[in-house]
Amino acid sequence: MANYHPTDELLMEFAAGRKNDPLGIMVACHLESCPSCKERVRTFEQLGGELLQETDPKPVSNGLLQTILARLSEKSPDKPAESGDSRIPKPLRRFVPSFYDGLPWKGFSKNIQEFTLPFSDNHYTAKFYKIAAGKELPQHTHKGNEFTLVMSGKFSDEAGDYQKGDFILADTNTHHQPRASMDEDCICFAVMDAPLKFTGFFGRLLNPFLR
Amino acid sequence: MAQLSVNNSNNLRPLDQLLVRIAEDRDQQAFIQLFEEVGAKLKAYAMRCGALDGEAEDVVQECMLTVWRKAHQFNPNTASANTWLYTIVRNKRIDMARKTKADMVVSDDLWPEPEGEELETDVERDLNGKIARTLLHGLPDEQRQIVYKVYFEGKSHSEIANELDLPLGTIKSRLRLAMKKLDTLAREHSTWLIIILLMNS
Repeated sequence: MANYHPTDELLMEFAAGRKNDPLGIMVACHLESCPSCKERVRTFEQLGGELLQETDPKPVSNGLLQTILARLSEKSPDKPAESGDSRIPKPLRRFVPSFYDGLPWKGFSKNIQEFTLPFSDNHYTAKFYKIAAGKELPQHTHKGNEFTLVMSGKFSDEAGDYQKGDFILADTNTHHQPRASMDEDCICFAVMDAPLKFTGFFGRLLNPFLR
Repeated sequence: MAQLSVNNSNNLRPLDQLLVRIAEDRDQQAFIQLFEEVGAKLKAYAMRCGALDGEAEDVVQECMLTVWRKAHQFNPNTASANTWLYTIVRNKRIDMARKTKADMVVSDDLWPEPEGEELETDVERDLNGKIARTLLHGLPDEQRQIVYKVYFEGKSHSEIANELDLPLGTIKSRLRLAMKKLDTLAREHSTWLIIILLMNS
């Protein structure tokens, strides 16, 4: 069970249909394994239902009902065939070409590798990070917000221990050095609105390669 | 800011019944009745979200067709008709608002249909939207205004702050106050649930 959750504000924006972007996908992945946040989103959807109910009606044009009735016998549009690996959370599945071990990971070392997710989005960049068991990312801070969801394995930093399903926000005040647990690689889904900024000595050296 | 009308909140149950008749009997009369009840509201929702008149009617059309096709998925034990209709129009707005390319996020990604093994909890905490309605009416105008902006205008907190010419911290604390109120209401409600369960056992 996840111990770290999206904020209520974010869950409300999600329920309001205002997060149709990689961050929304991350929230949806978290909901798959978090009954309490799912419940919360449901309450916000009820709030949406109430807003819909209370909106002052806008009269529709005369022919609209007939147009709709004439279309009732139309066939439903075909659902696109399900694609992707069933071990990947459903909201992400369409965007990940294979299971983690088959992805074209890239990186300057075996210890830290990344895979950029193929979203077209103006605001967010989305990546998978893989930190090898027992290894750590260089000390870094963030130019903007970075949201992280643990997909498999565990990692920890100065502020806590994180496991599968945990949803973590790092911002410009976060200065941390995540380390994967000793027993297995840790795979994280990260969405950021600005690139990482490495601060340690090695971090400074590495920075030009990690954009 | 729109005025809230308070006298239309008791017709939830009839809507539920209409949906059940549409699902079970493929009843066109029920469908027409439902359209008359909610068509103009779906349109108003779309327009408040920024759609032009014609676009809003396209949204209504697509929503009503989805209602007809998916009515069997409506479960009156887990959601009220209002909540269900809201999720449909919300999703249509997302998917119709722009030309979708394959690598863009669509509503099916965000709210996938549950897979077989997933159990729907059959305890609906708020069949008549009582919590939500009480919340909405109980909120001071300044908090309600922000909730409206999130739902209808998709404004981020900093955009709202700019628009209302208030510090970001004020917006955040107002929204947080609204959330707190919601929490209290939800807790009160769960007390009732426990009482009902005890009485029935």
